[in-house]
Parts: sequence; C-alpha cells; structure tokens
Amino acid sequence: MESVALWFVVLVALGFDFVNGFHDAANSIATVVSTRVLSPRLAVMWAAFFNFAAFLVFGTAVASTIAKDVVVQDVLSIGVIFAGLTGAIVWNLITFFLALPSSSSHALIGGMAGAAVAKGGFDVLISSGVGKIAVFIVLAPLLGLLLGFSLMVLMMWASHKYQKVERLNRFFRRGQLLSAAAYSLGHGGNDAQKTMGVILALLIAQGEVGPNAEVPLWVVLAAHSAIALGTLSGGWRFVKTMGSKLTRLQPAGGMAAETAAAITLFFVSARGIPVSTTHTITGAIVGTGSANRISAVRWEMARRVVWAWILTIPGAALVSAVTYGIVSAF
Amino acid sequence: MDRRAAFFAIAAVVCAAVSPATETEIRWIPIAMAVGYAVLSVLSFLDAWSRHHDHNN
Repeated sequence: MESVALWFVVLVALGFDFVNGFHDAANSIATVVSTRVLSPRLAVMWAAFFNFAAFLVFGTAVASTIAKDVVVQDVLSIGVIFAGLTGAIVWNLITFFLALPSSSSHALIGGMAGAAVAKGGFDVLISSGVGKIAVFIVLAPLLGLLLGFSLMVLMMWASHKYQKVERLNRFFRRGQLLSAAAYSLGHGGNDAQKTMGVILALLIAQGEVGPNAEVPLWVVLAAHSAIALGTLSGGWRFVKTMGSKLTRLQPAGGMAAETAAAITLFFVSARGIPVSTTHTITGAIVGTGSANRISAVRWEMARRVVWAWILTIPGAALVSAVTYGIVSAF
Repeated sequence: MDRRAAFFAIAAVVCAAVSPATETEIRWIPIAMAVGYAVLSVLSFLDAWSRHHDHNN
C-alpha cells in the first residue's frame, strides 16, 4: 500500500513539473513570439527542447537544496509532500485563471514549508536553507533587472551610429534564438531540479535511498521530460502579460532580457539556489524597458506581478497546511 | 526626483540591506548590485536633470 502511495506522489510531483512547464511556457517564449522571431508553435518546440537538454548542462545542486535544506528530513512523509505539492498546484491554478504571473517555485517552497509546519511547527524549517532561498527571492529579479538594463544600454550605445536599421534588427532577431535557447536551458535547469528535489526527499523519507544519496538518473530524466512536455502544451494566457503588457519589446530588448535572465539562472543553478524563473525574466524585461525610458514600463502591470510575488508563499503554504490537515485526518 | 533614479536608489538600498543575510562566499553579489544600482541612480538623475535643463533652455 505504501509503495502505491509513493508512486502516486511521484506522479503528482511530475504532474506539478508538467504544470510548471505549462504555466511558465510563456516566460520562455513571450519575447520571441511578441517580437515575431518565431511563430508560437515553433517557439514552444524550441523552448521545450532546451528545457529537456538542460540536464546535460546543470548538476543537481538545486535539487539537493530542496530535498535537504528547506525542512528537516525527519518531518518529511508521503502526507507532507503530497500536501505540499497539492498546495503548490492549487495556487498555480488559481493564479493561472487570474492571469497573474506568479512563481511556481515560490508556490512549491511555500507549499512544502506550509505542510511541514502544519505537521511539526516552525522548528522544522532549516533557517540557513530558507534564508538562502529568501535572499534570492529578492535578489534574482533585481539581478535580472540590473543585467537587462545594462545589456540594453550597452547594445544601444554600440549600435546608435549604425544606419542600417533593417540589418541591425535582423541581427537581433537571430540573436534572440540563441538568447531564448539559453533562457530555456536556465529555466529547465532550475525548475526541473525543484521537482527532482521533491522526489528525492520522498525517496529518502520512504527509505528507498540513503539520506546522502544523489538524485537517481531516472528522476533526472523524468523531471526534464515532464517540464518539456508541459512547455510543449503551454498556456498562452501569459504571453500577453510578459511580452507586451509589461513593456513593448523590440528584438534587441527581447535578446537583452533573455540573456540577462539566462545569466542569472545559470549562476544561481550552479550555486544550488532555487529561484523564480518567472520573476527573473520579469525583472529582466522591466530592466530593458526602463533603459529606453521609465514610462515604457507599464507599472500597473508590474505592480500586479509584485502582488503575486508577495502572496504566493503564504497562499500556497495556507492551502498546503489545510490539505495536510485533511490528509492526516484519514 | 526622477522616477527611474528613485527606483534605482531604492533597489540599491534593498541590495545593501539583504547583503548581511547572504552567505559569506557570495556576499559580494548583493554588494556589487548595490554599488551598480547606486551608480545607475546617480546617472539617471543626471540624465533627467540635463534633459530638464535642455528643455528649459
């Protein structure tokens, strides 16, 4: 019976990963679609391929942080992990229908923490791990913004005397293919590892692997496949939000935003820090938009993103805690 | 004050504020970001000021 429950929760975790790809597909492709570099269909295929290929580039440091550094391992059980995942999925669905670009990653971390706290109180949280994640919840979008702004200014400075605007645009449009690929690698690398971390935590909790075990290869492949499939079937609702409601992007801006977000994600993934890929690209888009002029950024929309940012962790934690209460009653 | 300059100044303060909570090994990142944002804030302020000045002339 326990093994059926274990595999059921592994499937739920992979389902979360699929929804993550579905939910975040627009982040990967919004700029290439809104600048008409690729058709929506080709753009999702491009992003999904690099989401999957990310397992060849990144290690499993982020997965290890999620499995071992957020809550103490003693508190983890099938019920806690199931409740955490349920909270994250329900929160993602709520924000999807409200067309709010909230973070699947924050939902997952909030969900896991909420369910664990419901079981064992606040002492079960590991302050060093939670602190590292909390610091980069703030820093990742600001780093994306700073890099996006700086890259955009550099590109404008380097090309301002160039007269052949058409040729320049063609260069940036082609460059966007590379920057979108780099961003999708970063997205796959950071987000798929969060699911790997959840499954690793589950396997450790059930004694299937040792407490210091690395992520098994089948988990790595399954997580990357799930996020890539989710991206392939991705929702279009956010494309408008990210690609045009925050600021109207030109090919140069799209390339700068994706490159800035990719650099940020490569760095944090190498350091084993789970961050919100959504907020990282949002910061980068705002940065490139404000390089032109501050009024190019639609601040009302940016404000909605910030509200989603503030509400996600407590919202997902609350849903998870309630779910844990229901699960533990049975 | 110019809105962009104000935004960058706030971002500089936020980065500086979270730097003590960052792991020692990577503390240079929020510090470098705070310096970067502070520089951008000054440059944005000067940019807005010079535009305003040109406009009035």
